Amino acid sequence: MLNKSLYAYWLTIQQGEIIMHIMEGFLPLEWCLVWFALSIPVLIYGVYRLTKITKKVPEAKPLLALMGAFIFVISALKLPSVVGSSSHPTGSGLAAVFFGPAVAGILSLIVLVFQALLLAHGGLTTLGANVFSMGIAGPAIGFTIWMLFKRTKLSPTIGIFTAVALSDLTTYIVTSIQLALAFPAEGGILAAFTNFAAIYAVTQIPLAIAEGILAVLIFSFLAKYKGNILSLLKVLKSPVSNTTQEVESQ
Amino acid sequence: MSHSDLYAEVDRSAYTNALAKSSPITKTFFALSALVLCVAAPTFVPTFIVPILIFILCTILILGIAKVNPRLYLNLLIYPTLMLVLSCIFLALFFGTGDPITQISLPWTTWSIYKSGILMSVHTFFRVEGALSCLFFLVLTTSITDLSLILRRIHVPKVLLEISLLIYRYIFVFLEVTEQMSTAQLMRLGKGGWLKRIRGLALLAGNLFIRSLEQAERTFTAMNARGYDGNIRVLEDFPQPNKMMLILIALFNVLLILVIYTLYLTNFGVL
Repeated sequence: MLNKSLYAYWLTIQQGEIIMHIMEGFLPLEWCLVWFALSIPVLIYGVYRLTKITKKVPEAKPLLALMGAFIFVISALKLPSVVGSSSHPTGSGLAAVFFGPAVAGILSLIVLVFQALLLAHGGLTTLGANVFSMGIAGPAIGFTIWMLFKRTKLSPTIGIFTAVALSDLTTYIVTSIQLALAFPAEGGILAAFTNFAAIYAVTQIPLAIAEGILAVLIFSFLAKYKGNILSLLKVLKSPVSNTTQEVESQ
Repeated sequence: MSHSDLYAEVDRSAYTNALAKSSPITKTFFALSALVLCVAAPTFVPTFIVPILIFILCTILILGIAKVNPRLYLNLLIYPTLMLVLSCIFLALFFGTGDPITQISLPWTTWSIYKSGILMSVHTFFRVEGALSCLFFLVLTTSITDLSLILRRIHVPKVLLEISLLIYRYIFVFLEVTEQMSTAQLMRLGKGGWLKRIRGLALLAGNLFIRSLEQAERTFTAMNARGYDGNIRVLEDFPQPNKMMLILIALFNVLLILVIYTLYLTNFGVL
């Protein structure tokens, strides 16, 4: 029931997560609409991809769902940040590396809706803005960097760390831009952006580093104990003709 | 750890409150229209009366009509409010344009506080409080299953809904597993020091990942055994909305719009 640990939970999440998701009602209507308008085309493309994947590979549906649940639970974990406070990982950088940006976007959307509906983290009016920063911009950058690193033959450890950490940082920069556009300061948008970014830097840069390290550790754990399981995820990335056989052969 | 407690608590309230059996369409219509009006109320001097009205109404509905445990509502409300107060102080001190009302010279810069910044922060405060109460009304009275039925009716893509429903099914399972693993780690001194904590977290997440993959396989087998053909079908048990209630809510919305409009006219000296 509602006990003291609940208070402790709320006190700790203030450090990162609530700040990271823009609160319900925090943005005026016009900016809510702008970010919905920017997110929806990307999400439609994501749904299109998802429909194609699930039609070709029937196993993909439960797999995607369980991955979504995984991301939700990851984002509910307490991540010890470098500055001594603890905060919550976004999980979207990891999702981008695992599943590619289109699927990561859709899963982030669902996770954000559930966070709003089950705990009032984020909100429905700010959903568009939050999806854009956490589910679209972050994963897009993370995935691009991950792809670039794959080509360079550098150690995948550095690749994963950079991809996840920068994906987090992108989320935080985009959120700062979103807030700066909605809340003007003397000296223009840039001044407002600097104000927000400065506040976020305190919690989000250490968090990005911590989440990068966490992602590296998760990856090495998975590679060590269940290397073949990662190949299963290729199902989600490339729904070409041969994946069906791949699934059947496993 | 108690996240699962809080998630479960909110979820339980959605199924057990006094309004749980009434039409989800009515509840959603009320919550969303109030939410939009609350966010849409333009920002000039007296308009925060609209969010305040909405806040009071939602609170009465949540505590009086839906009979939600007041402690749960208070707990949900208090921490976002604390965060909001901090954010609003920040907005008031560092934002706004126009003529500064006060200036403090610091060695490296002059720090100005603007009237528009303070106004903006007051508006934001009331807007968020009003919006939060609408969200809480929806969250505490309407279950996710009911909401998914509404989304089905407005033709949200089926894949999205099916995956969401499965995610919802497994969130609570995994939260419980996570709590067990976390307790096990704590008992084996897995949380002494930063490095141990983050390593423990990675082990936990890695294990959870493997478990979710295995669960996905099992779920797929179970679905196949029950004749899965690519579609997930659910039984719809959907109470019809009360037309009177819908009209009443629409009237309330019109009233709010009139209030906003009158305030707008008064403020700009037309009336």
